Amino acid sequence: MAKKWKFGTTARHIGASLLLASVALGAPYASAQTRGGSITVAQSSNPPSLDAMVTSSQASRNITMNIYETLYGFDDKIQPAPILAESVEVSADGLSYAFKLRQGVKFHNGKEMTSADVKASLDRYKKVGATQTMLEPVTEIEATGPYEVTLKLKSKAPTFLEAFASPRAPAVIIPAEEASKPANEISFIGTGPFKFVEYVPDSHVKLERFEDYSANEAFQSMDGFGGKKTAYLDTVTFRVIPEPGAAVAALESGEVQLLEQIPVPTARRLSSNDDIKIYENMPWAVLTFIFNMKEAPGNNLKFREAVQAALNNEEVMAIATEGLFQLYHGWMYEGSTYDAGDVGAQSYNVADPEKAKALLKEANYNNEPFSILTDSTIPEHGKAAVVIAEQLKAVGINAVINQTDWPTALKIRLQDTGWNGWTLMMGIEPYLGPAALVSTLTGAAPHFRANDPELDKLYQELISTDSVEGRKAVFAKIQERLYQFVGIIKLGETGLMQASRANVQGFKPFRFPRMYDVWLEGQ
Amino acid sequence: MTRFIAGRLISALPVLFVVSLVSFLLIAVVPGDVTAEIAGADSTEAQRQLIREQLGLDRPLPEQAVRWYANLLQGDLGQSYLLNRPVTEAVFERLPVTLSLAGIALVLAVAIGMLLGILAAVRHNSWVDQGSMSVALLGLSVPDFWLGLIFITVFAVGLGWFPTGGYVPIAESFTGWVVSMTLPALALAFTQVGVVARMTRSSMLDVLGQDFIRTARAKGMRGYTVILKHALLNAMVPVVTVVGVMTGVLLGGAVVIESVFSLPGVGRLIIGAIQRRDYPIIQGGLLITAAIFVFVNILVDLAYGWLDPRVRHGR
Amino acid sequence: MAADVDLAETNDLRRAMARSAWRSRYTFLKRLLSHRSFLIGAVLFLFIVLVAVLADLIAPYDPNKNDYRNLLAPPSALHWFGTDGFGRDILSRVMHGTRISLGIGLSVVVMTGLLGVLLGTLAGYVRWLDNILMRIMDGLMAFPGVLLAIALSAALGPSILNAVIALTVTFTPRTARVVRASVLVIRELPYVEAAVAIGAGNLRIIFRYILANALSPLIVQLTFVFAVSILAEAILSFLGVGPRPPAPSLGNIIAEGRNYLQDASWIALFPGMAIACAVLGLNLMGDGLRDVIDPRLSKVRDAG
Repeated sequence: MAKKWKFGTTARHIGASLLLASVALGAPYASAQTRGGSITVAQSSNPPSLDAMVTSSQASRNITMNIYETLYGFDDKIQPAPILAESVEVSADGLSYAFKLRQGVKFHNGKEMTSADVKASLDRYKKVGATQTMLEPVTEIEATGPYEVTLKLKSKAPTFLEAFASPRAPAVIIPAEEASKPANEISFIGTGPFKFVEYVPDSHVKLERFEDYSANEAFQSMDGFGGKKTAYLDTVTFRVIPEPGAAVAALESGEVQLLEQIPVPTARRLSSNDDIKIYENMPWAVLTFIFNMKEAPGNNLKFREAVQAALNNEEVMAIATEGLFQLYHGWMYEGSTYDAGDVGAQSYNVADPEKAKALLKEANYNNEPFSILTDSTIPEHGKAAVVIAEQLKAVGINAVINQTDWPTALKIRLQDTGWNGWTLMMGIEPYLGPAALVSTLTGAAPHFRANDPELDKLYQELISTDSVEGRKAVFAKIQERLYQFVGIIKLGETGLMQASRANVQGFKPFRFPRMYDVWLEGQ
Repeated sequence: MTRFIAGRLISALPVLFVVSLVSFLLIAVVPGDVTAEIAGADSTEAQRQLIREQLGLDRPLPEQAVRWYANLLQGDLGQSYLLNRPVTEAVFERLPVTLSLAGIALVLAVAIGMLLGILAAVRHNSWVDQGSMSVALLGLSVPDFWLGLIFITVFAVGLGWFPTGGYVPIAESFTGWVVSMTLPALALAFTQVGVVARMTRSSMLDVLGQDFIRTARAKGMRGYTVILKHALLNAMVPVVTVVGVMTGVLLGGAVVIESVFSLPGVGRLIIGAIQRRDYPIIQGGLLITAAIFVFVNILVDLAYGWLDPRVRHGR
Repeated sequence: MAADVDLAETNDLRRAMARSAWRSRYTFLKRLLSHRSFLIGAVLFLFIVLVAVLADLIAPYDPNKNDYRNLLAPPSALHWFGTDGFGRDILSRVMHGTRISLGIGLSVVVMTGLLGVLLGTLAGYVRWLDNILMRIMDGLMAFPGVLLAIALSAALGPSILNAVIALTVTFTPRTARVVRASVLVIRELPYVEAAVAIGAGNLRIIFRYILANALSPLIVQLTFVFAVSILAEAILSFLGVGPRPPAPSLGNIIAEGRNYLQDASWIALFPGMAIACAVLGLNLMGDGLRDVIDPRLSKVRDAG
C-alpha cells in the first residue's frame, strides 16, 4: 500500500486543489472548442536542443513533442500505439517489423512523408540518437514500398516495440534532406500540429499552428503521445523563466497562461484563486539515492545496508518535494502492470539509527568521508542530499555534500572515484517500465558503477521473455535483488504541479505539455 | 588631440591582451563536461568522445590557445558548442539587452544621483541633505539582486504595475521596452545613485564655496540661476570621471540583474555558458564585455580631456 | 664631518617625526571618535560582528536542523524570522550567515591587503616592474564588476576558499594601485630621500617609512574592500558559485528564498537586511576614516 503523506493544513489545501483540478478536467466542457488565440507557456530552463533525436532533456521534450511525431508512441495506458504509422506487422520469427505508414501526412515544409524520409530519419537516429540502445537490435532499415518501412532485427526482442516507442529521446521522423545533417544542425521540420517559428535562447521558443496538419482520423481524440490531435491556438510561445517566483508572478498577472511546473507551496496558495487552475501529476518521478559501489565506503554491502537503515525516507521526501510525495517501496508504481507487491517492503523507510550504527560497526566503518554528489539545478536533488547528509551524520557517518551544477554532476558520476553517493530523480524511466529502469542499472555503465552480475542476468532474462506474465515474475526477482545488494535506494515518489489561467481549456497533464486540443475560452 | 586619442588606444592594447589571456586560461581550468549536456545524461562515453573530437576539446591546451588567438585576430571567436552559431553573433545579438539595461541604469543613476547631490549641497546640513545622503548610502549598501527581488515582490507581484521579467525589443514596442526595463534598471541604478550623489554633493559644495559664486551671489544673482549656470557645469566634471568606473560596475551588475528579471542579455548568456561548459561563449562573452568596458573608459577619458584641457595637455 | 652633521640632523628629524606621529595618532583617534557617521557605522558593524562571533551561543536553533513539520513557517514567537523550505530557523541561519560572510570578507581583506601591499610596493619601488605589474592589474580590472569573480569561482568550483580566492583576485588590483600611488608620492618626500641618503636598506625604508605612511589610504581602501566583498559573496552564493549548501551564507539563504518570494518572503528578506546592515556599517566607517584622514574632504565638509 502506498502511503500518501499528508500533514496538517497543507494536506487539506492540496486535496482541495486536486479536487478543483479534477472537476475542471472531468466536467463536460462548458464552451465549445474555438480556434485562435495565443498561449505563452513558461518553463524553467532552455531546451539544450530542438533536434529531438539527440537529447533526452525534459526541457526539449516539452517543446519538440508538439513539433515532431514518431512512428509509434505510448498511449494513455503506456502501450505502444501507431502515430505516423498505420500499423506494424511482426513476422512469426519476431525478426522483422514492417511498419505501414499513414498516407498524405505533410511535413511543415509542405512535402509529403514517404518511406524515404522514415528510413533516413531512423538511419540518422542510429548515428546521433541519444537513446541508441533503442535501435541496437536493428540490423537493417529498408524502404519496402513508398509507404512501408521494414526493420530487420538480429535476434528476437519481445520488448522492441516498447523501446522503439519511447519518448525519452524520441525517434522522430524528419524530411530525408534534413536527416543527412549532423546533430543539432537541422532545420526544425516535423509533422506535428505546430511548426517551429523561432528560438531565442534564454528568452523563448515560438511555434505556430501548422494549417496543413494531417490529423490521425483513426482515433477519436488525443491519446498519450498520439491520437487525433487538433491545434486550435494560433501560436504557442515557450518562455524560459528560470526563477519560479517570476514565473508564478507572470501567471498571476496573465502574462503567461501555463506553467510547466509550479512550486508546491505556491500551488497551495493559488488553489483558492479563481483565475488559476492547478493540475497535479502524481506519481511523476521517483527520487533515488545511488551509491558508488567501486569506492569505499560504498563498496561495502554492510555500509550500504547501514545507510538504508538510517534513512528516514519520510523526512527526505517531505522536504525535497515540499510535501507532494508518496512513500512506496516498489520500483514500479503501485497498481501498474509490473508492480511487484510486498517484495522489499520491510527494508524500505526503516529509519532505525540503532540498527544503522550496529551495521556500521559490522562494516568496520571508521569515519571515512562519504561524499554526496548533487546539483543545484534540480531542487529536489539538492534538498534530498542535504537532508540525507544530516541523517547520516546523526548515525556517525562523515557525510559531506558536493553540490555542483547539473552538467558537472553528470560528469563526476561517470567516474569510478570522486563521489560516494548521488541523488537522482528518475522521471521517465519508471514511467516507461521495468526494461527502461533496469537498463540504467546494468550494462556498460550502471548508475552505481560496479555491475551486479545477478542483476545483469535478470535484465537479459527480462528483455528476452515473451509474455507479460513471465516478465512480471522476472521483475519481482529484480526488485528483490535491488533490495538485497542496495546499490540504489528508492527514496519515494514525487508529483508535478502545473498551473494555467482559468480560461485555458482542454489541457490535460501529461509527460509533456500537449498544446494541441487546448483552446482559450472566450477567444 | 589626435595624439591623445592614439595614445589612449595604444595603451589599451596590453590591457586587452591580458584580458584575452585571462579569459582563455580561466576557462582552460574549468572542470565539467560539455558533452554530457549535448548528448544527454544517458549518453555513452564513446558518443561523448566523438563530440569531444568534433569540437577539438581533446587537443592539448597550447594548441587550443594558438587556434583561439589565430581566430581572434581575424575577429572570429569560435563557434558555440550548444547554440550552434558563431560566438560573436550570439554575443552581439544579446548586447542590446545588456547595453540598454546598463545604459538606462547609468542615465537613471546620474540623473537621480545628481539631483540628490545638488539638493543636498544647496540645502547643506538640512534634513534634505541628510535624507539624500542616507538614500545614497543605503544604495551603496543594499545588494542589487536582493533589491531586484524586493521590487518584483512589491511592484510586479503586489501592485502589478510592471511585468516580473522578460524583454521587449525596442523595435517591437517602445513603451513595452521602457516598461520591461524600468524595474531592472532601477534596481541596478540604485547602487550607483549613491556614488553620483556623493560626488556631486562634494564638488558642488566645493564650487559653491569658491569666489566667483560668492561674487555672483553678492551681485544679486538668484540662487538657482547661480546653481544652474556655474555650479552645475563645474560639478559635472568629476561626475564624468566616475562614469567609466560606473559603467564597469553596471555591466557586471547586469549579469545578476538579468538573471533575476529573466532578461536575455550577455550576462545570462555567460552564466548559462558557465553552467553548460560552453567554453567559446564564456571566453568570447568575457572578452567582448571587457573590451566594451575598456572602450567606454577611453571615451570617458576623451570626454574628460575635452571638458578639462589640463588633462589633455598634461599627458 | 659633513656626514655627521647630516646624521645628527636626520636623527633630530626622526625624533620629531616620531613625536608628531604620536600626537597625530592621538588627535586622529579623537577626531575619529567624534565623527558622527563613523560612530554610527562602528556601532552598527560591531553589533554585526558580535552576532557573528557569538552565533553559537545566541542562535536559538542549530542552523542546519531540519524540521519537516515546520516548513515555511512565517515569523512567530518560536521562530522570529520564520523558517525555510527545510524547516530551518532563519534567525539562526542569518546569525551563522553573518559569521560566514564576515569571515569571507575578512579573509579577502587580509589577502587583498597583503597582496596589494606586495604588488603595490613592488610596482612603486621597483621601476622596471611597474609597467608589467600595472598592465596586468589593468587587465584584471578591465573585467566589469564581479564578472571575473563569478567566472573564477565557477571555474574553481563552489566553496568558501574558492570564493575568497576569486574575490581576492578581483579586488587586489585596485588595492595595489592605491598602495602604489602612495608609494610614488612618499618615496619622493624629503625624509625618505634622507633615509636613502644615509644608506638605510631598501626593506628598512619600505617598512619604516613608506608602508607606515601608505597605511592610512590602505585602511580606507580595505574598509571598502570589506564592504564590497560581503556584497560580492552574496552575489556568488546567489548565482550558485559560492559556499556550498547547506552552509548558511547570507547569499545562500537569499538564493533559497528566491523561490518563495510570494509564499515565504521572510526567507529572502532578513538575510538581505543583514547584508545591508553590515555593509552600511562598513561604508559609514570608511567614510569617517576618509574624512578624518583626507583634510581636503574635511575642508569641503566645513565649507559653504
